[in-house]
Amino acid sequence: GACSVSMSMTEIRAGFTAIKANIQSRDPIRTLSILSHPCSLHKVKSSDRCCITHQLFTFYVDKVFKHCRTEDSFVNRKISSIANSFLSVRRKLEQCREKNKCVCGEESTEKFKQILANYEGLNVTSAAMKSLGELDILLDWMEKS
Amino acid sequence: SGELYCSLPNPRNVHFESINMKNILHWSAPEGTGDGVLYKVKYAVYGVGKWIRKPECRNINRTWCDLSSETSDYEEQYYASVKAFLNGTCSDWMETTRFNPLTDTKIDPPMVSVSSTDRSISIILTAPEKWKRSPEEESMSLLQVYPGLQYNVSVFNKKTKKRWSFSISNNTLVVPWLEPGTAYCVSAQIHVTTPLLDSGFSKEHCITILKDK
Amino acid sequence: GDSLLPAPQSISVLSTNMKHFLTWSPVIIQGATVRYSVEFQGEYEREYANGSWIPISECSLTTATVCNITEDISASVAYRLRVRAELGATRSQWGTTKGFFNRATTSLTPPLLRVVADGHHLLVELADMGPSFQFRVLYWRKGQESRVQQRMMKEVSSVVHLDTMEAGAEYCVKAQTHVQAINRSSSFSPTQCVRGQGDTSLWL
Repeated sequence: GACSVSMSMTEIRAGFTAIKANIQSRDPIRTLSILSHPCSLHKVKSSDRCCITHQLFTFYVDKVFKHCRTEDSFVNRKISSIANSFLSVRRKLEQCREKNKCVCGEESTEKFKQILANYEGLNVTSAAMKSLGELDILLDWMEKS
Repeated sequence: SGELYCSLPNPRNVHFESINMKNILHWSAPEGTGDGVLYKVKYAVYGVGKWIRKPECRNINRTWCDLSSETSDYEEQYYASVKAFLNGTCSDWMETTRFNPLTDTKIDPPMVSVSSTDRSISIILTAPEKWKRSPEEESMSLLQVYPGLQYNVSVFNKKTKKRWSFSISNNTLVVPWLEPGTAYCVSAQIHVTTPLLDSGFSKEHCITILKDK
Repeated sequence: GDSLLPAPQSISVLSTNMKHFLTWSPVIIQGATVRYSVEFQGEYEREYANGSWIPISECSLTTATVCNITEDISASVAYRLRVRAELGATRSQWGTTKGFFNRATTSLTPPLLRVVADGHHLLVELADMGPSFQFRVLYWRKGQESRVQQRMMKEVSSVVHLDTMEAGAEYCVKAQTHVQAINRSSSFSPTQCVRGQGDTSLWL
């Protein structure tokens, strides 16, 4: 069933919008993406959405935010805001998972492996900053339907 | 392509201007260069490994290039880049920031049609269409792009100078029991909560309620 | 040195309607101006970032004994806050809030509501309370308390049209705020009643 995390997504979106230009300008690699290529989140089956969403929130919490510290206090504060909102949303997603028993299908497992491979293909700081700069790709996909 | 040593100043302020996902690349001429500067344009789908030249914007002297067709998939994000040429020398490629059509476009106000019967006014709102390559191509309303799209409607009573506002999700609104012989002016705005996008308010459409017979 | 200056005391968070302020008692040093710096730590920093603390630049070297932390307390998790005194090169130990602060504990007050009858039309005006807030408006025709109608409102920058009233009838309205991010609501505002324009020729 649908899990209502909408308000937190609005707050995450607002936090990201405030630092989007700054973060994306730190990612010089145009020809690689963590989330959208070679295969796009938008191609994920709806039955796999729940699982992929939880995996991606765990990916960001465990791997991404901690490597995104910058020299800019404002940016650091917004990253903290996003990271703590991710924790809060992930907790709700966990409740959804237990209730809905949303099992990870083969396709979403493959998709998530691809994302990790993209991530591990870069040095950790570049990969983390690129992932953070792609947050709107995740938000756009989550809010699509 | 045998470009010479690039000592020409760079094009400035290279950016997308987008309305209803009609995505135009704009830039300013390099500092201190008069007439005669030519440009070429390339673009890239973010995350895909190649830059693609735009033939229709090769050796152009204008400072814009329509990339709507190339950037029409709003599930992707894009970069574009411009290079200037003058008297055998050239500039560096100058890039845009990452362009996300879904969040970076501006939305036109809705179309508003107002009619009046008895003592009420009926308002029908139409969201703008997403840009399309040709009139023959199937139209897509921005309502399909932004499922959470809502309308804020403003009804202004010209006699009492009072303004009422309505927030509706469907595209029709009937306001009954109005004052005979009074003029009401209606305007409307599109509001999308996430991503946060608001159009301007439409032009006002005024209509007078007929006096009771 | 960091030892001579006492740490600020009585550190607490005042939170109303999703606006959060850290306050503390002043450190008094005769003839000197003591300044303060504030830092925060969310659950993420504790669990995943080695317990790091993040400075709030607007409250760095401030002489005030209050700091608006609303922008930084922007997730529904447990936060800790700390403040220290500074006098020239001397800094006190950090004074830290006792326990955690979660914005879900903010106190919510009823909205300011104005109900207007304009001819046959029932209108309401609600004071804006910021992006976190929605308004749940209940209205009913006096005497028909069992047929209460509800409207959820978000954008309240103007006079909002609620409904059309039956001629000459009296309608009552009350409202409460709802904060989706913490899934809590305020108590209701006092009920206000207005009478619609009487018009015997009218039939609904």
